[in-house]
Amino acid sequence: MGLSLTVNGDRLASAADPTTPLVDILREELHLTGAKPVCREGFCGACMVLIDGKPTPSCLMPAALADGCEIHTVEGLTTHGQLNRIQSALEASDAVQCGMCFPGMVVSLTHLLTTRPDATREDIRAALTGNICRCTGYERIVDATLLALATK
Amino acid sequence: MSDVSATMDFRRRDAADKLRGRTRYTVDRYLPGMLHAAVLRAGVPSGRIVRLDTSRAARMPGVRAIVTAADAPGMMGIGIADHPLFARDVIRYDGEPLAAVAAGTLAQAQAALAAIDVEIEPLPAVITMADALASDAPLVHPNWRDYEVLLEGGARKGNVAWEATVVRGNVDAAFARADVEIIESSFRVGRQNHVAFEPRAVVASYEDGRFHIETSTQVPWGIRNATARLLGVPPSQVRVTVPPVGGGFGLKFDLAIEPFAALLARASGRPVRLVNSREEEMLTCLFRENADVRIRSAVTRQGDIVGREAVVLMDCGAYGGEQIFLTTMTAHTLGGNYRLGSVRLVSRALYTNTAPNGAFRCCNGVYNTFALERHTDEIAARIGMDPLLFRRRNVLGDKDLGATGQVFEADVLSPMLERMDTLRDAAAPRPARTDGRLYGRATTVGTWFVFVGPSAATVNMNADGTATLVTSGVEIGSGSMMQGLPQIVASTVGIPPESVVVRAADTDAAGYDVGVGGGRTTVSLGAASLSAAQEVRAKLLKVASEMIEAAPEDLVMRHGRVEIAGAPGSGRTVAEVATYAQAKHGPVSGTGAFTGTGVPAMPGCVAGHFIDAIDMPVFAVHDCEVAVDPETGHVEVLNYRVVQDVGRALNPRAIHGQIQGGVVQGLGYALHEEVTMGSNGRVCQSGFETYRVPLALDVVPVEISLYEGAPSMGPLGTKGAGEVPILNVGAAIACAVANATGKRIQELPLTPPRVLELLLDRKRDLTLPHIAEAWADNLVRPHKTPQGNA
Repeated sequence: MGLSLTVNGDRLASAADPTTPLVDILREELHLTGAKPVCREGFCGACMVLIDGKPTPSCLMPAALADGCEIHTVEGLTTHGQLNRIQSALEASDAVQCGMCFPGMVVSLTHLLTTRPDATREDIRAALTGNICRCTGYERIVDATLLALATK
Repeated sequence: MSDVSATMDFRRRDAADKLRGRTRYTVDRYLPGMLHAAVLRAGVPSGRIVRLDTSRAARMPGVRAIVTAADAPGMMGIGIADHPLFARDVIRYDGEPLAAVAAGTLAQAQAALAAIDVEIEPLPAVITMADALASDAPLVHPNWRDYEVLLEGGARKGNVAWEATVVRGNVDAAFARADVEIIESSFRVGRQNHVAFEPRAVVASYEDGRFHIETSTQVPWGIRNATARLLGVPPSQVRVTVPPVGGGFGLKFDLAIEPFAALLARASGRPVRLVNSREEEMLTCLFRENADVRIRSAVTRQGDIVGREAVVLMDCGAYGGEQIFLTTMTAHTLGGNYRLGSVRLVSRALYTNTAPNGAFRCCNGVYNTFALERHTDEIAARIGMDPLLFRRRNVLGDKDLGATGQVFEADVLSPMLERMDTLRDAAAPRPARTDGRLYGRATTVGTWFVFVGPSAATVNMNADGTATLVTSGVEIGSGSMMQGLPQIVASTVGIPPESVVVRAADTDAAGYDVGVGGGRTTVSLGAASLSAAQEVRAKLLKVASEMIEAAPEDLVMRHGRVEIAGAPGSGRTVAEVATYAQAKHGPVSGTGAFTGTGVPAMPGCVAGHFIDAIDMPVFAVHDCEVAVDPETGHVEVLNYRVVQDVGRALNPRAIHGQIQGGVVQGLGYALHEEVTMGSNGRVCQSGFETYRVPLALDVVPVEISLYEGAPSMGPLGTKGAGEVPILNVGAAIACAVANATGKRIQELPLTPPRVLELLLDRKRDLTLPHIAEAWADNLVRPHKTPQGNA
């Protein structure tokens, strides 16, 4: 049985075992290495992708469950290569350090920007508890999100 | 020598790709024809290998190569070469590698591991440092005498892998004085896991008779030399290149899995990818070591510290590794911060049958500063002096002596404490406290250093007016390679920092470097880069003077032009000068080299140290306020302030980012990051579910003041800024919680159960019976009486 995945708008077929974690298919078959399988326990958020618009850790999800869904990875969040609002704000805020957590962070925050335009500092911090960062101490990321929310 | 300030608000160039998910770290590298590797690890802490038969595994589907101890003859280490790549006959920790397999897929490699026939006879194990020091303790290395000694001077015996001592002045006389109080404190800390997001990862190839290792490391030259040593080949046969690194914090300052992949690549003739699983990273991480500290001071009632002695036990795990080197740091962490009349310290790295420990941001300093600052508060309480006043009175200042007899230059800590007073006084008062929580505040000081050592740099001037900086520096996330270094080169040759291309580390292309860590990148690589850029500048000015017909000393280089000083718009562009120079004299380049000068200790004062005194001291003052919930034991950090000595800040925004991040990592250490060891010698925290790092809701914004102007031998007056922010976080939190609760804090982290135990008076005073009462009874080798200062 083959899988039919729609990733960043492209329909793709995969012959992988349907129990394979989605993150492995994205990385190893499709070479979309933005999603990082850091903890493989669904805690760190570095492998976050949008599945039918909802941020979801791709390390725990068997690919079969994503069959037929619209999947967006961090690579699909730019338009014509231009950074989106949150990416621009994170860049302008000098928020990035090692950067391993940022693809997942960008996915979560892109979703937050569209669903919570009125988010406060505390809302943003609460929303980020599923995305762990070991380098930055988070404050720059929260600042950048507020900047992005204020940028229409 | 520069016409443009090197201080800039320059954004890092690697951010946009990192935000797009385009950056290819080592874990993202997949080469055509590549094999996947996996490592078989022991499941007992101590044992003898009776049988290890790989013949069945070799016949498994997809298997292309299997390597074992027979393939790696060498031994590695710092100070002593005690560490083989694979366990040979003897297993010394749970998780020790036994064999490595390369196969077509990772699943095939893992299946083959299961088919390796292993028979192990378990042996008695020593799991704790108290076990290791017991009179009848089994030896982790029964043949310790046979190991090659790489640095002479450390005392060794039995399970004492290394011992370093300091004796300055007559401590016995100080403790015998009639006018002193004697204050004794004991402390214990556990291990901390770096949790670098990118696990240790490598892709190795064997090409034209040489190894090429692409790896996630902080020390390309270290990997080159240690891999060669283990494999028994000349170092020149190993090339190491380093893609962007997804976090290090010291974890990647030591050899890890590179030789397995290299051996498998040679054996199979194919590129081999090896990536540690998160579980391997959690169980065999080169943790910040657990330590036991006893410190005792003789202090006059007026507040002079006339004598101090301490014993520090550092658990190095099954192999000496970096702990051997880090025994040195006790002299500068417990012997730092304050003026001491006389002092004697012993720092001992002990073998146990547990996973080896390693370097972690402000290694050794974090817990010694916790111990020293808590001890300082206990001193102040005993003599009835305000702890802040005691600190103001005693912090190291101009011409004061460090523990090893080093003479410190300039008053730095004292004005930094004043700066902190100003910051604290300017803060808005908190509303009335009526929620039943316990509130406390503390100010702590810290002394740290920049790890200097050799670095090399080459600057190649390109005909298009850009410059290429070639070093063995690695971008691990701190931004030094992306911001500080290009700023230094750009300001010297008068071009924008965007026009400085930074070459990724490649040991075939760039000269030797100690590695990225210890706050040394902007300092050591920066000094080498500055020197290289100055050579380029001098050459370009000479050529430009021919072109413009003006003396070189009348010319300036700025905004991409070489001009006559005072005549903007005159002269030529840097690109024109570089093009002309290239055609007429050949391409323009410059080279630079740097190393620390080495500060001597007082004669006879130290034994077994790798650094006698510190080339470049760095100071920090931290202040925080906490609220403790008496019902749950939960500690909330209400505010946090840092005054940090940075020498000179080339990119203040980048430094602020390092300080916020370092403080939060320190909050993890202080409040909830805890690695514990089962009685079977296995780490209990195998993943993110059981090891709790700070989340966005745990942190506070750090109020930061950069203290500039302290003496520094760093280029343009700089000091390393990324290492030190974590130094006194544990100390500040512990002192604040002690002030809030009135309880004696002796251990970190201050998890809710531990704080509750303290509040309910269920926690007994920590005793360390494996530390002998008399200081000298803790030594393998008596410290000789120092000349002239007995």
